[in-house]
Amino acid sequence: MIELKNITKKYEINKNNTTIALHNINLSIQEGEIVILKGASGSGKSTILSLIAALSKPTSGEVIVDKKHISKLPDNFASIYRRDNIGFIFQKYNLIPTLSVKENILLPLVPLNLSNKEMEEKLHTVMQKFTIEHKKDSIVKRLSGGEQQRVAIARSYVNNPKIIIADEPTANLDERLSLHFIEILKEFKALGKTVVVATHDPLFFGLDFVDKEIEIERGNLLL
Amino acid sequence: MILTPEVLAILLLNVIFAVFSFIAFILSIKIFLNWDIESTSTAQYKLEKQSFLSATIIKYIFIIKVPLFLFFIFTLDKISNVLTGAMCGAGVVDATEYGIYLFLLKIINLYIFGYWLALHFEDIKHENQPYTKLKFGIFIVAFFLFIIELIIEGVMFSSIEVDKMVSCCGSLYSSTSTSYISEIFKIDTTLLLTLFYTNYFLMLLFYFFKQKYFFALANITFIIISIMSLIIFFGTYIYELPTHHCPFCFLQNDYYFVGYFLYSFLFIGTFYGFKTGFIESSKELVSKNYRVSLIFNTLYLIIVSLYPILFYIKNGVWL
Repeated sequence: MIELKNITKKYEINKNNTTIALHNINLSIQEGEIVILKGASGSGKSTILSLIAALSKPTSGEVIVDKKHISKLPDNFASIYRRDNIGFIFQKYNLIPTLSVKENILLPLVPLNLSNKEMEEKLHTVMQKFTIEHKKDSIVKRLSGGEQQRVAIARSYVNNPKIIIADEPTANLDERLSLHFIEILKEFKALGKTVVVATHDPLFFGLDFVDKEIEIERGNLLL
Repeated sequence: MILTPEVLAILLLNVIFAVFSFIAFILSIKIFLNWDIESTSTAQYKLEKQSFLSATIIKYIFIIKVPLFLFFIFTLDKISNVLTGAMCGAGVVDATEYGIYLFLLKIINLYIFGYWLALHFEDIKHENQPYTKLKFGIFIVAFFLFIIELIIEGVMFSSIEVDKMVSCCGSLYSSTSTSYISEIFKIDTTLLLTLFYTNYFLMLLFYFFKQKYFFALANITFIIISIMSLIIFFGTYIYELPTHHCPFCFLQNDYYFVGYFLYSFLFIGTFYGFKTGFIESSKELVSKNYRVSLIFNTLYLIIVSLYPILFYIKNGVWL
């Protein structure tokens, strides 16, 4: 379960220039829920994602994930929390273009010191699930946008995280590939994963399997 | 005033450290007074960021300060070449009235800086950072000691006059000397050696019975007794001269720099022993501290003990 309690987040560019990204928000996401955060650019969607992922800390308030106060974690513990619990899917995929599909997918497993056999097993499972096995040894920069997106999804899933966070996942995809991504979301739901998607893509609105659609405007939740 | 490249390096480094540690000092006061790990207020989140910054500054300063002590000893030894009468670092320490105070303060600071580092590394192992308030409190004290050290160091180096005759270690560390050092030669050698070996066996005993507080205390007494016995007894076998008691000469090339090993072993061994009793750690870490302490203290004991034994085997007499 993810809880955001009285969260305010300010970005201080300098003393006279402060942007309030989130204004005293409260949000609760149950385990296994699919949540869509919608809103215009700069509304605070990505800030919520970064707080859930312990990539940043709130200015005040607290973020609790599975009873753990993650906003209070020191950086080294926040890294461990991310490594063990979070899978990321970014708008621009954030893949390493000069590495192969296999190498990109395996990256989150590097700190875990798994045996080669275990790594191969995990790799095989996710590549099959996201139908990217035939491109295993291809260099990522030579793949199409849709294929790169599948690699990014496979990478986010290889660690078997409890929570998957997707920030504008379809911003660079055409409608057919976006719909394919929505199908993948359904699969995540079936697997019991908690998924939080920040998007302004109308394809995500009104989906029957989505548990919550939350609109954000200028740092406030519109409920 | 003496300004060799080594002295300049030490002074410059210390000035840089003073500037950065002043920033850490200001933040440390704020952290020490306002830290509340349970709070989710803006002020606490700000303090958490500031504590990371200050701890990083302090960590790197102290990590460099610890080996810098050995460089300081090396510098004293090197300066002795240009001071008339000085044969080693002892002459330089005695060249001004500040030398001995600086030297003692540096040893005290060495342990405090080491203790701070140990506390910090223990603190960051825990999500709730249980030692944060304590470590910044200790730093506030350490900062003043560091500044005092810096001032005395500057005054000492600027007071050294290269054309003034200084005492050599032979006259300073002798029972006939009138200096404060000569007082320790009144201690009976047999008694001192008995204390030295008994202290070591007590440490072993406390280790076997896992008495960490007594083990730590035994390490504190061990460093004092070890240095005294090194000056009064073991040193004479390193030099193979019954009248030479200098604790600096064996840092020189003529004695294969053995002093650096002896002091390093002694400081590491006693520091880890001290750490065993004064920092609450996991069982594994306490057990590691015990082992490191015993290994280095034992190495120290073996090396110093071998000198008189080998001398006796070679010559058939004691000095």
